[in-house]
Amino acid sequence: MKVLRRCFIRMFRRRAASATIVALSALTFVAASREQASGAGSRATTLRIAFNADNPLLTSLDPFQVYWIEHRVVLRNVVESLTDQDPATGKIIPWLAESWETGADGASYLFKLREGVTFSNGEPLDAEAVKTAFDADKAFLATSPGAFGAAFLEGYDHAEVIDPHRIRIVLSKPNAGFLQATSTTTLAILAPESYKRSAKERSLGAIIGTGPFVLASYTPDVGLELVRRKGYGWASHAVDNGGEAYLDRIEVRYVPEASVRNGQFTLGETDILWPRDPFSEADIRVFKGKGAAIASRSLPGPAYNLYPNVAAGRPLADPGLRKALQKSIDRTSYARTVYSDDFPVVQGVLDATTPYFKSEKEKLAYDPEGAARLLEAAGWTLGKDRYRYKNGKRLSLLYVLWTKETAGDLLLQDQLRKVGIELKLSFLVPGEMITALSAGKYDLVALYLTRGDPIALQSVLDPRFAPTGSRAAARNVFPPEIGPAAEKLFDAGLVATRGDDRARAYGELQDLLIDNNLAFPLFERVWQTALTGKVSGFAWTAEGFATLSSVRRTP
Amino acid sequence: MTRYLLSRTAQALLVLLGAYTIAYLILYLLPGDPLAILLNAAGRDIDALSPAEIAEARRFYGLDGTPLERYFELLWNALHGDFGFSASKNAPVAQLILERLPQTLALGGLAVAFSIVEGVGFGYLAASVRSPVLARFLARLPAFGVSLPSFWLGLLLIHLFAFTLGWLPAAGNDGFRSLILPAFTLSLYSAAIYAQLLIRGLEAASREPFIVTAYAKGLTRGEVQFRHAFRNAALPIVTLVGLQIGNTFSGAVLIETVFTRTGVGRLAEEAVLRQDIPVVLAVVTLSAAGFVFINLLVDLLYPILDPRIDHASKG
Repeated sequence: MKVLRRCFIRMFRRRAASATIVALSALTFVAASREQASGAGSRATTLRIAFNADNPLLTSLDPFQVYWIEHRVVLRNVVESLTDQDPATGKIIPWLAESWETGADGASYLFKLREGVTFSNGEPLDAEAVKTAFDADKAFLATSPGAFGAAFLEGYDHAEVIDPHRIRIVLSKPNAGFLQATSTTTLAILAPESYKRSAKERSLGAIIGTGPFVLASYTPDVGLELVRRKGYGWASHAVDNGGEAYLDRIEVRYVPEASVRNGQFTLGETDILWPRDPFSEADIRVFKGKGAAIASRSLPGPAYNLYPNVAAGRPLADPGLRKALQKSIDRTSYARTVYSDDFPVVQGVLDATTPYFKSEKEKLAYDPEGAARLLEAAGWTLGKDRYRYKNGKRLSLLYVLWTKETAGDLLLQDQLRKVGIELKLSFLVPGEMITALSAGKYDLVALYLTRGDPIALQSVLDPRFAPTGSRAAARNVFPPEIGPAAEKLFDAGLVATRGDDRARAYGELQDLLIDNNLAFPLFERVWQTALTGKVSGFAWTAEGFATLSSVRRTP
Repeated sequence: MTRYLLSRTAQALLVLLGAYTIAYLILYLLPGDPLAILLNAAGRDIDALSPAEIAEARRFYGLDGTPLERYFELLWNALHGDFGFSASKNAPVAQLILERLPQTLALGGLAVAFSIVEGVGFGYLAASVRSPVLARFLARLPAFGVSLPSFWLGLLLIHLFAFTLGWLPAAGNDGFRSLILPAFTLSLYSAAIYAQLLIRGLEAASREPFIVTAYAKGLTRGEVQFRHAFRNAALPIVTLVGLQIGNTFSGAVLIETVFTRTGVGRLAEEAVLRQDIPVVLAVVTLSAAGFVFINLLVDLLYPILDPRIDHASKG
């Protein structure tokens, strides 16, 4: 092997390229020289971020269509919204709108816009521009009702321009989540010019905003580039740096292979390593050894929950079995084993950073004996193979997974085996998943959505609101006797204008989901990034994205 | 010769049509509604549409008509260079492929060149050593190369050459340097097969009477090996190169993911995952066309490489 290695090394050192190699690779030189021409300039203030692979299902950077959280991180720094959400308190605070009044019926909002704000193409941000943005989103929804932004724009009827800096947004019915929606990237205000382009062009990067960075280029699957917006100065109070960004450029790369991504980071080729899944204990040890810091934040919205298919004939239609399943999951060892010792243990249906989060810790206690007793009482007896049987039929649940399993899925399989439940993992590509969900051929599925408001639960679980793809699954979560009660709570949360009423509605909804075991929380959806020692000023937004205008990078 | 060329081209076209037809059958006649999948990729839910809208969408995606009608329509469009539209990639399929193809051609091309140099070089070397123990050891080595999984080898090479030694980039499409590791990883499997074939070929040739004659003429060992044994033993490799090019491109699916390259391989992988039928169909057709073309070329090369082979006499 040593000889072989020396052989290879020598081969590369000499760059022993035969004439054939040169001829065959002439093609790549063209691509290469083009790449190297750019980017040589201001190395010192360029921040390099590595994300997981680009969205394989939908190539789009259009804020209204984007659900992919990595894209929303980028967009947060390019496009801005009427309001912002304070990451510490979850309160809605001024941004492009310096103040607002809610109509008495909760169905209209009068926004007073900040003066002097311009889009990066020079157009002013005024009431007309805001109206154009809301109307364009509504028009897009008419052509594509399943779009991600539907739940955010819910109820929007029209906008009235009162004067250049005052606009009234009128809803056809109350939507308590609307104010929070105006703080999201989804309802960000783009320049009128962006809406003159087609949705397809916006998807591919025709995005003009008022943010501290300008989107310079986007190459799907490869990466994108942001450059500093000169003359910026209207950040919300949640951001430390109110003026121009400290960085000149931000380079984002999509790297699908984890070990390559990690290796590039430890070598210093990446400044911020930002994969979708939290780091393992071993990764954290390596990164910290290299002087890196880890930043974490629970993503607001539902936790990583499994949702049952309670349709008649499926095993989880039995409430007793659902209860036993809830007791069989050891969430503490899940967090410790799959992630790390200080990883938070999930406490309820929502992640702890979500406003109106309610801890259901006691009800989610690990109790394998209790689970066994329940199963025993329901007639599921242990067979020779340690699985439970009733009428000769094995107690088996089908868990459908998006393409591949994680260590956590295997751990869960093992935890359930301990009480005699067989968990079958079924790996489906997205196309198959849609078919399986609509046909109801599954028992458990994981769904989630990131949004800094409990209304996110409605987007995931209420079939009237759930987006494309998960609507079929949402239909299977509620048994007929509980469905109406859940619908009532969803509606109560939607129309409540007072904070107390929302707290009550969403508190009861969280109780309903856990008391009836219609959601099986597995872990808190923590988003982690690793930052090299050169990076400072990194701060999370309320929705778990980042404001990069405050970030500094020393050479 | 012209007659042979014509019949061989006709055969090639037939193979191509077969590949297209089979791909169509598999993709469009699979269980599951292709319309639901296409709509979902575009962010729409079939359940939310009225029957009129569904009919409209069906027409839009070219899914109206019987499967046979659709087949001929798609074939007709494909023959005119129109491979349809990828809803989830927001781009025409032909444009996607044109963007990605140069990356994969460069990777595949360099990998084929590497594999020939490595395989032939190693095979020749292994057959030339005099020590019987070393010769046997070297002859067994290619089996190792055949059995190494390419994704694992790729990661190993990244760790050695990119992360430990820092000589080559670990990932990306940035120029020739970023091509070396993936091309080498991709080449090793084919190289090992060429080496195995050449070692056996040279061994067999060394027992042939004309080799004895060559020695009797007073030629040196090196001259005999290169001029007489090698020319005879190398011919089957040409056939194999044609076949291996197909494997090389299918190997690109894995390699492009490991090395974060954006080529046709990764496009195909993602398209399969999201059941982006137009893209998969176009990639399958394109690779089949490439495969058929290379093998036609190999067949036509034979008479030039070995004058004893004459296609005309067969025709």
